[in-house]
Amino acid sequence: MSILPYLVAGWLFLVGLYGIVTSRNYVHAIGCLTVIQSSTYVLLLSVGYRSGLGAPIFSDHPPGPAADPVLQALVLTDIVVGAAVSALLLSLALQLQKKRGSINPDDLQPARD
Amino acid sequence: MSRAVRLIAFFAAALVCLPLILAGLRGLPAFGQHTNPYGDAVNAQGEALRHVTNMVAAVNFDIRGIDTLGEEFILFTAVTGVVMLLRGARGEARSADPSEILHRRREGRSEAVTGLGRWVAPTTLVFGLYVILHGQLTPGGGFQGGVIVAASALLVYFGEGYAAWRLIVHSTALDVLEACGVAIYLVVGLVPLFTGGSYLENVLPLGEVGSMLSGGIIPILNVAVGMAVIGGFCTIALEFLEETRQPKEDDE
Repeated sequence: MSILPYLVAGWLFLVGLYGIVTSRNYVHAIGCLTVIQSSTYVLLLSVGYRSGLGAPIFSDHPPGPAADPVLQALVLTDIVVGAAVSALLLSLALQLQKKRGSINPDDLQPARD
Repeated sequence: MSRAVRLIAFFAAALVCLPLILAGLRGLPAFGQHTNPYGDAVNAQGEALRHVTNMVAAVNFDIRGIDTLGEEFILFTAVTGVVMLLRGARGEARSADPSEILHRRREGRSEAVTGLGRWVAPTTLVFGLYVILHGQLTPGGGFQGGVIVAASALLVYFGEGYAAWRLIVHSTALDVLEACGVAIYLVVGLVPLFTGGSYLENVLPLGEVGSMLSGGIIPILNVAVGMAVIGGFCTIALEFLEETRQPKEDDE
């Protein structure tokens, strides 16, 4: 038994969160958000892994015990949503640069009419 | 909030959350010892019940089909949001090049890049279509294959340049592709309702295990998702590349 995969997931989460808190650039913050999100991939895949067993794909051998397909399907969902949300956030950052001339969170004050 | 205050707030919150996180980690199953009855049930019976060999596809497109519908709508909504945020001064003229708005010094494209692109782009396209069509048999499926196909379109941009890329990527065609992908998923789910079944029930003939058409609705949903992903990711690439391009007088 090893706890290394869980520690990796925890480390990725914390290091991404620290990056967002100290970020001076929204593009950098969005990158940190994807780091946080990758911690969920590591966590879900390591929860679903089973020692000595292969992937839940039986195209070349008969069905039997394998890694958990439900968690792998969840990770697939996670990745797709992550990519789409990153694109949306990056386009928000682009609009911010156009409208306000800065993507540093510290420079931005609440909008006034 | 100043930076110092923000950091102090972060570390204070981290101190409070740390015991909770550690307690949560202790409750996880030991690595490699996981026993989830649902996953085991799918592994044991999936092939017999659904005639597919990729259990992840069986979960995504049949057993948890309704969740994947939601996921597809998240993708659709996010792409719509990107288009709404970025669409503005976008032209249809294909002569202009991206990057000129940034006044970068432009190097000519090496013949090696063009030559390699002509080999790699079609190969990637065929591989992406293969991954979509064999999603229920081998690793892959609509999401993965769709992204590969979208990447093959971008390889054309690397190899041949902006004008050639715009010749194969039409925003209207992409919109239709994406909308049709989502619509097919919705409609395939509705069909069983007319025969007294439930939404997204697998009512089609299951076919022979190992065949490209096995799995009833699973290959159809895979293709639908593939269409939506190709349309969505090509649209995102198109919108971002258009941002780097100076609109011309004669552009729409």
